[in-house]
Amino acid sequence: MDRGFVFRRKLLLFAVLFLFWIVLTATLAANDIVLGAISSALVAGITMLLFGQALDDRFTPRVLLKLPWFILRLIWEIIKANIDVAKIILNPKLPVDPRIVQYRTYLPDDLPRTFFADSITLTPGTVTVDIEDNLLSVHCLCPYHEEGLAGLESLVAWLFGVKPDD
Amino acid sequence: MVRNIITVIFCSIGAFWFLLGTTGLLRMPDIFSRLHPSTKCDTLGACSVMVGVAVYSGSLWDILKLILIMCFLLLSSATCGHAIGRSAVRRDIAPWRKSEEEEQ
Amino acid sequence: MINFLTAIAIVIGLNALICLYRAMVGPTSQDRLLAVNIVGTKTLVMVVLITFVQGENFFLDVALVYALLLFIVTVALSRYLEAEGWEEMRSDG
Repeated sequence: MDRGFVFRRKLLLFAVLFLFWIVLTATLAANDIVLGAISSALVAGITMLLFGQALDDRFTPRVLLKLPWFILRLIWEIIKANIDVAKIILNPKLPVDPRIVQYRTYLPDDLPRTFFADSITLTPGTVTVDIEDNLLSVHCLCPYHEEGLAGLESLVAWLFGVKPDD
Repeated sequence: MVRNIITVIFCSIGAFWFLLGTTGLLRMPDIFSRLHPSTKCDTLGACSVMVGVAVYSGSLWDILKLILIMCFLLLSSATCGHAIGRSAVRRDIAPWRKSEEEEQ
Repeated sequence: MINFLTAIAIVIGLNALICLYRAMVGPTSQDRLLAVNIVGTKTLVMVVLITFVQGENFFLDVALVYALLLFIVTVALSRYLEAEGWEEMRSDG
């Protein structure tokens, strides 16, 4: 493996861990920051030695920068989903017609697929119940909920910079 | 004063979503349908209560920690729903169908 | 304001009590696990509310650790339920 690449992965893991440390300690005192920097660097180095990789290879700084915008759009989707599910729950007749559909995704690796499955679970009337390779089993509460999946897939593809042809 | 009003609004909305999640948990016919209210309504309820409390607190570190808890809750509730659903699928628990009699 | 936060915490606690009904009667083990997970989420929010009722900031760290533990408990138990040999346990309940 390329030395520069390894160093960049370590640096990224160090930055994430260090931010987490600062939020946890809730101070900006000099001794806390120095201690946090030392322990974050140690953890980053040991992780690289033990697992051979720090974070997932798809988790780049570019993804990290796009993440807040992605989360905002996801939260908007979640709010819409909740209002939809709330209408179903509060309807006295309980108009559900649940079914399990199979969905084949073009997203390549584990991390984009995890993001996609989690987003599906959080949005309108759909829960991912199983993943095998690129075949997702999605439980839909009503048949029309199935239509939202393709939009979510393109949103996750945008986050990781994946083209449908890959 | 304005901050208190915002807190009251957000916390009330959160409590309402929690109530919806409980109702859904009791009313839905089978385990897969019960995953829907639990993963959606409860997550949004928890997040909106935390937003309300963050506005009430107003201190930077508290807000950062609450955001951390919120992000983690979004991630973990989705993953928990997925894990429970997967164990139900692997144990061959049959999903409830609306028109089961007609099809057979 | 503190009274209001306490009231919200009590409402959420009553909700959690109602959820225990599903944990009691739930036909499958997965239903019980789901109910326990929801009760855990509600407890987490109650801890966050109690932080500001009491004015003690360190309860937020407790809430964070509670969220982590809840996640690990649910994932570990559902992986455990995936394994074979649970038919007898299920028909008992």
